Amino acid sequence: MNKAIELKGLTKKFGEKTAVDHIGLNVNEGEIFGLLGVNGAGKTTTIRMLTGLSVPTEGEAKVLGLDLRNDLDKIKLMVNVSTQETSIAGNLTVEENLKFIAGIYGVDKTVLNERLEDIYSSLELGEVKNQRSKTLSGGWQRRLSIAMALITGPKLIFLDEPTLGLDVLARRELWRFVKKLKGKVTIVLTTHYLDEVEALCDTIAVMAKGKVLAVGTADELKKSVNKETLEDAFVEIVGGEKT
Amino acid sequence: MRALVFTSRNIKEMLRNPLSYLFCLGLPLVMLVVMTLVNASIPKPEIPAEAGAFVDSSAMQATTVFNIENLTPGIAVFGLTFIMLFCCISVASDRASAFLTRLYASPMKSTDFIIGYTLPYAIIACAQVMITYIAGEIISLIVNGESFNIGYMLLSIPLFIPSVILCIGIGIFFGTLLNDKAAPGVCSAFITAAAILGGIWMDIDSMGSAWVSVCSCLPFYHAVKYARCILVGDFGSMVLPLLITTAFALVIFVCSALLFAHKSKADK
Repeated sequence: MNKAIELKGLTKKFGEKTAVDHIGLNVNEGEIFGLLGVNGAGKTTTIRMLTGLSVPTEGEAKVLGLDLRNDLDKIKLMVNVSTQETSIAGNLTVEENLKFIAGIYGVDKTVLNERLEDIYSSLELGEVKNQRSKTLSGGWQRRLSIAMALITGPKLIFLDEPTLGLDVLARRELWRFVKKLKGKVTIVLTTHYLDEVEALCDTIAVMAKGKVLAVGTADELKKSVNKETLEDAFVEIVGGEKT
Repeated sequence: MRALVFTSRNIKEMLRNPLSYLFCLGLPLVMLVVMTLVNASIPKPEIPAEAGAFVDSSAMQATTVFNIENLTPGIAVFGLTFIMLFCCISVASDRASAFLTRLYASPMKSTDFIIGYTLPYAIIACAQVMITYIAGEIISLIVNGESFNIGYMLLSIPLFIPSVILCIGIGIFFGTLLNDKAAPGVCSAFITAAAILGGIWMDIDSMGSAWVSVCSCLPFYHAVKYARCILVGDFGSMVLPLLITTAFALVIFVCSALLFAHKSKADK
């Protein structure tokens, strides 16, 4: 299987503090890959490096077969991100937001219309397409934020804490949408919710203190430390240390 | 192309904000009418008939500031300071909402951002200047029974571009530097300072050389001065303040573009 992401010794330091410490990971194309860790584990910094928002201090990274340092402009055209904070243009309607971001990525008009229809049906945004996005509820805004990442037709999408701050129902709704994307696009998802990675992810990487401590499916992680639940396995793997 | 897409978004954002109509259009027009009424109510100093009698020149000059041919260019510059405010709030709000983070991860370049923030506010600023001058023309016809020189009036619009660039540059600068909570307050203080030190409401030249020196250090005094000169066709006096304003505009705009580019790569 082709690799969507290949990391070797990827590191990010902010002065004396090491936020990401020589991590090595492989993400297969088409899978949902979960970066699991408590706050400050280095998940968001890893995503920031892979989306060009932050320059790695050292190490190698290949994204969709391209070198992160030398081919960032090409990578940016094939990758999109839904950030931890909802990032939408509040005074634009849902459709205008989608058309705006598609315009930034140079999406062809015919292709755009097809994608809009697809997104309206799969993410059920059609019913609010003419509504100003600032008037949407938190769950709908998050859904729009993800749709803005999808409208550009990325081969790889980063969802940084996609359900942070959402209520239980909105979370379950988003899970359903993310599951629908499985196989169509490679998804890297960061979260500190154990049930979220267990429900969604094919492969999980457990991070703590900027390091990747374990990688595998939820069952493999549980077996590796002889625990019944992912929560117990996670606690065992991170050694009870918070960050 | 990306810059134009971003421009379109920023125009929509501004046109859909009711406050932008109130401050960018309503307030300058209201000030134009109110100051004209104030001017009409001020008793004009009498010129003594005897030769050698004392004439209070400062009182004479103070009242001429509120004459419509001086008031209109002053208010037009004053209106641009609100363009600065809204540009500043737009940049600061985008940064606060993580909207810019999403765009930083996109294929957009720093120049796309700068063009995208500048163009919409430049278009709106030019429209604002035109409307202010048309309103001034109507008031001039009503109050004085005479029209502005149409040629000078038309010439004023393109020559306002340095002042427009100046205000947008300051807006981007503060919007990049400050968060969305601090930006409006700082800009409001700046608007007040610009109005006082720019000589919009008072005749700076009659207030003594020390005060003129202080005001000359800032661009708004020059911007108001050259705008007034154009409207009355005093082109000889226009050149120097126009050049000074243009120099201020270029330096401030380049600095704000560099600051924006630096901030967008802050942790790289």
